[in-house]
Amino acid sequence: MQLELRGITKRFGSFTANDRIDLVVEPGQIHCLLGENGAGKSTLMNVLFGLLHPDEGEIILDGEVTNFADSGAAVRRGIGMVHQHFMLVPVFTVAENVILGFEPTKSLGRLDYEKAAVDIRRVSKAFDLEVDPDAIIEELPVGLQQRVEILKALNHDAELLILDEPTAVLTPQEIEALMAIMRSLAAAGKSILFITHKLKEVRAIADVITVIRQGRVVATAKPTDSEEQLASLMVGRDVNLTVEKPASTTGGNILEIRDLVVRDDRGIAAVNGVTLDVRAGEILALAGVQGNGQTELVEALAGIRSVESGTITINGRDITNCSPRQILDAGLGHVPEDRQRNGLVLSMSVADNLVLNTPRRHPFASRGSRNLAAVNSYAETLVQNFDIRTGSTQAVVGSLSGGNQQKVIVARELSRTLSFFVASQPTRGLDVGSIEYVHQQIVKQRGEGLGILIVSSELDEVMALGDRIAVMHQGRISGIVTPSASRETIGLLMAGVVEVASA
Amino acid sequence: MSVTESPTTVAISPRAAANTRTRVIGLLMAVIGLITTFIFGMGSVGSAKSSLTFTPVNLQSAPWHLGALTLSTRLCDVIIGLLMIALGVEVVVRHPAKGVMARFGLVAVLFFLALLVWAARSPGPSQVPFINLTSILIGSSTLAMVLIFGSLSGVMCERAGVVNIAIEGQFIGGAFLGSMIVSTTHSFIYAALAGAVMGGLLGLILAFLALRYLSDQIIVGVVLVTMLGSLSSYLNLQVLTPYPQYNTGHTAPNLAIPLLSKIPILGPVFFNQTGFFYVMLVLVVVISFGLFKTRWGLRVRAVGEHPEAASSVGINVIRTRYTSVIMGGAIAGIGGVAFMAAQGQFQPGYTSGLGYIALAALIFGRWRPSGAVVASVLFGISVYLADNLQTYQIPVPTEVLGMFPYLITIAVVSGLIGRVRPPAADGQPYQRD
Repeated sequence: MQLELRGITKRFGSFTANDRIDLVVEPGQIHCLLGENGAGKSTLMNVLFGLLHPDEGEIILDGEVTNFADSGAAVRRGIGMVHQHFMLVPVFTVAENVILGFEPTKSLGRLDYEKAAVDIRRVSKAFDLEVDPDAIIEELPVGLQQRVEILKALNHDAELLILDEPTAVLTPQEIEALMAIMRSLAAAGKSILFITHKLKEVRAIADVITVIRQGRVVATAKPTDSEEQLASLMVGRDVNLTVEKPASTTGGNILEIRDLVVRDDRGIAAVNGVTLDVRAGEILALAGVQGNGQTELVEALAGIRSVESGTITINGRDITNCSPRQILDAGLGHVPEDRQRNGLVLSMSVADNLVLNTPRRHPFASRGSRNLAAVNSYAETLVQNFDIRTGSTQAVVGSLSGGNQQKVIVARELSRTLSFFVASQPTRGLDVGSIEYVHQQIVKQRGEGLGILIVSSELDEVMALGDRIAVMHQGRISGIVTPSASRETIGLLMAGVVEVASA
Repeated sequence: MSVTESPTTVAISPRAAANTRTRVIGLLMAVIGLITTFIFGMGSVGSAKSSLTFTPVNLQSAPWHLGALTLSTRLCDVIIGLLMIALGVEVVVRHPAKGVMARFGLVAVLFFLALLVWAARSPGPSQVPFINLTSILIGSSTLAMVLIFGSLSGVMCERAGVVNIAIEGQFIGGAFLGSMIVSTTHSFIYAALAGAVMGGLLGLILAFLALRYLSDQIIVGVVLVTMLGSLSSYLNLQVLTPYPQYNTGHTAPNLAIPLLSKIPILGPVFFNQTGFFYVMLVLVVVISFGLFKTRWGLRVRAVGEHPEAASSVGINVIRTRYTSVIMGGAIAGIGGVAFMAAQGQFQPGYTSGLGYIALAALIFGRWRPSGAVVASVLFGISVYLADNLQTYQIPVPTEVLGMFPYLITIAVVSGLIGRVRPPAADGQPYQRD
């Protein structure tokens, strides 16, 4: 199917999310839409998929102007979407999810599961997407769930497939498998629109690249262009993709974790016997597919999740099951994974958020009342030093961009005397400029002799920052390697396949 | 002081956690069995006898007549108690994957039976030296029927993702309007239709506030119950009291099904009932079938589990929720009429929290029509006994039996026994972005 977008414009109030976007996807072509978070990619896809209605512009399918009332209409017209957050009902079977909305029925409106299973087998055979129609979705690994999403689109006879950031939750091997599927789909004549901000993937798979920035198409590029070229198109200026990391002298262990067991909300041992050391002046990067216990490990470190067994010490001091207050006082700085939920009080001002961990301490308060002058002047200094872009220190922190919100947290956490710093997904959802900045700050702290633990599901980040890389799989450390290790090695560790000698 | 523990690695799988819960249920069953054996069984005088009769009071002309069954109280309750212990031990030792809740239900029913046998012992405190088992089942069946209407209403609403706390209010509304209609038209069919409209209307209000204005569904539900309670009291005082011809208090006639109603013991319980009872049976079958076998059911459940996913394939989430909540309300409204048809005359407050017990039955029944039926039967028996045990002068306060449905529900919700999982989007507001 040939898709043409002509002058698509979508406004939210005074904000223009998509500004006269033109795009053509030819049949059998893999077309990459490259842009930073917030560039307007998701809005454009929601317009294309009938979830939003454009203010101006036309969607043309095979030369015919189309208007979708809702996403059901888009699906019927042959557009399939693989959402970033899967649109699958976890308690349903694969078959039930695939047929939902387009159910084959027998008399009395009864569902025809036999026909569904036959259809699914036919499609999965045609495109090499093996999956058991009777499996329950929530019992499948993420990679297979994504396969079901693709299968669902194909079962609805999709001719154009939109994949929205599909690789975020996959291991490198699963990404390889996905790319193979995309290639075979393109070879079968399907059009593919692949949305991403990951330059490596774009170069590996794209036939055509369209770069969008601030809601506009700024360039079309070729997969043969270098990563630097693509990055500067995406960001609008030259960017330095490598993290400048001077040699650092490491000292003794700052953090020691011994045989740690932590349960998740369901009572399952999400961290299941982790032993880990982080030395002074060292960045230990913790890699792994999301949901393998990284979140629970960091929460236990920060004192917001109780430890079942095992110990955590900072500078020899046992902080196992201490309160967050005691742990902060022991010298831990913590950038949480979900900054809006756990890192900031969004409805409070920038200044108040900057003193959130020390509101009762001198000089910010004395004898039970706050010293607002001291808070504000401190906030002014931090806003300056950390280049937080805000109109005023009194602005509500929720009104700042994601990058600036993250800077508020980083500024707050790094402006105390620390001995250990842990950051979970420190650059998730940030623009390239902010990523550079956050990385510089982390490396700077390393130079000052802190022990640092970075948890990230972005392999590039892990490899750029880590002095050592620990890989977590199903609650255990499946291996510790040096940054010189290959992506394949790390990928296998992420999948829990091999044990590699510790670095 | 610090104690160094030897480092151990514990693997806790969900399966293991489920096993722990299964063991707790098994233990609980065994403990109930011990109580039965030692307090009811061994606690009775050895010479005490209990009589059970089976001929319903209103069916003296039955073609069959079973004589009274006279048993040794001690022997009977010891046997029942040991049976319960055996069931409990079996669950603890074998922790079967399926049917644990069914076994638990059986133990609960056996417990009621043992209690009755014990209460009717002679010589004993009771002035009624026998227990009419069939009458008790008939009395309980009416309450169970009302509870089933209520919990089916809950299934309809919550499977689509809207919490319907207002079942009690829909009962009241249905009973009030139903009584007026039946008093004026003498037709229970019209009364049922009016009750359905009334309940559906209350469902519409709930749906409108919850879906259009994204109000908190629990609060809207509680407000509706409170409003209906006060409104019905007011209208009762202003309309029904001065004009008693609008509240004449008909009870619905029993429609005996030929042959089937003649089956000993069970015949009168299942096949000599009002039309409402048969409507309820049909509804159970239709809703079970509809929810789990048809396209309509798949879509309703998808909307209640993951509305965004349903919407992404073109299912209209809001419309699905509206229809489910209105249909659910209508079912509860009919339930209110059914209650009125069994009790006669409308009186303010006479549903006395049955709507909430229906909600408890819905949870205990794991949001499934079949489960809701089992739970409603169990709760119906306990409510009936709580209301009628005074007759037997049992030293157990009847309020304790009245608490039974709620105690069970707390145990279920807290995960102490069984694992329940409501529809994932139950009670969550949905907004199209």
